[in-house]
Amino acid sequence: MTVLAAFVAAVIIPAIPATVSAQTTVRQRLQGRVPAQVQRVVERLARDATRKGLPVDPLVQKALEGGAKGVPAARVVAAVQALAGRLETSARAIRAAGSPEPSAAAIEAGAFALSTGIEEGGVARIVRASRSVHAPEVPLRVAGAMAALGVSGDQTVELLVRLIETDRPAADVLSLPGQVEAGVSRGMTPTEAAGAAARAKPGRGRPPERPKKPRNSKP
Amino acid sequence: VSRPFDPLIRRVLDGELDVAALPPELRREAEAALRLLQAVDRAPVTLPAALDDRVMAAVRQRANRRGSRTWRWMVEPHEVRVRVRRWMIGPALAAAAALALLLARPQDPVVAPVAASATTDSVLVRFVLYAPDARQVTLAGTFNEWDPEGTPLVRATTVETAEVGGGIWTTTIALPLGQHQYAFVIDGQRWIADPAAPHVDDGFGRTNSVLSIDLGGRTL
Repeated sequence: MTVLAAFVAAVIIPAIPATVSAQTTVRQRLQGRVPAQVQRVVERLARDATRKGLPVDPLVQKALEGGAKGVPAARVVAAVQALAGRLETSARAIRAAGSPEPSAAAIEAGAFALSTGIEEGGVARIVRASRSVHAPEVPLRVAGAMAALGVSGDQTVELLVRLIETDRPAADVLSLPGQVEAGVSRGMTPTEAAGAAARAKPGRGRPPERPKKPRNSKP
Repeated sequence: VSRPFDPLIRRVLDGELDVAALPPELRREAEAALRLLQAVDRAPVTLPAALDDRVMAAVRQRANRRGSRTWRWMVEPHEVRVRVRRWMIGPALAAAAALALLLARPQDPVVAPVAASATTDSVLVRFVLYAPDARQVTLAGTFNEWDPEGTPLVRATTVETAEVGGGIWTTTIALPLGQHQYAFVIDGQRWIADPAAPHVDDGFGRTNSVLSIDLGGRTL
């Protein structure tokens, strides 16, 4: 047996079914749901994503979403490409934070946080702070939800990092978006609601009270 | 048309017989054949002295090329001798089993269909929308491959909902842990985000609602 034949038999042939299977799955999921142009681009992006260790499912989902909503092909392609870029940025940020092999869930959560206005450095800070305390996707999803509720990216990152570094219970971290939402429903701005949530006592995890307005002092 | 020489004429051409020894009827043909043979230039061919060197230089250069050596190493057959020892059998079986397990596992879990949501790691979530004028409301999102007809809501008809004109639509589905984006579809055409959940830009100029189910089935 030649070395070439041995290499083909041992490495390439076993790899073919996996690659073909993944591509077939992507093709099958998109078939009839999106225009052919979108399908071609997504299949190529999916191959790139697999090669880079990024999750493929979000790309397929975004294409399906565009197809279901009747969005023009060019716009669907642009959205899928933008998402692919965010997934790559997210993976880079998480790796920079000391997690060399981030999970698909963590990368996707980081991309979600980026889409809501959290910076790449903010993603890295949150992951770095949460190591050995939480799986990175948990605080990243919280960060994305906070930013989606209108809290600025910087304030969200500061608040989360402080809570995690002061060993606040996981329930406190998870309840942050709910507290902000409740504060906003009581008439607070998202910034005020986030500030109030940060000042809440550990383990409370309940909606913050609206701050009392100072009485006007008479001259 | 060509025909072979008579064997006697061939012997003359080879110098084994004299023409005079041939029968008279063959002599003329034999003399013609001898004349043809004498016309051929039988002087030895001499090659230029530098030709050998040029050819050998080209051969050596080709043999020394790295890619060529590697390619030859890969495509030329090699003799491989395998001596199986008893102590090797255990590790070899273990390696084969590990390889089989590796190849048999799902290749790309992230591209698996989301339909299998009713697993042990799923949570029942109730979706509610107030849409009094709607004739049909459905739910589409990452959990059902954005199928706008996959998850219909039903109009709630309890005593409590009668107070709001029966415009409350609801459904309860099992969702896997993780993050989901979704929207309601009214009458098969109008996509609206859930007013009771955080919104994010969907990349198409609209918004999606976001639902995260994390530790202990807690939603964000």
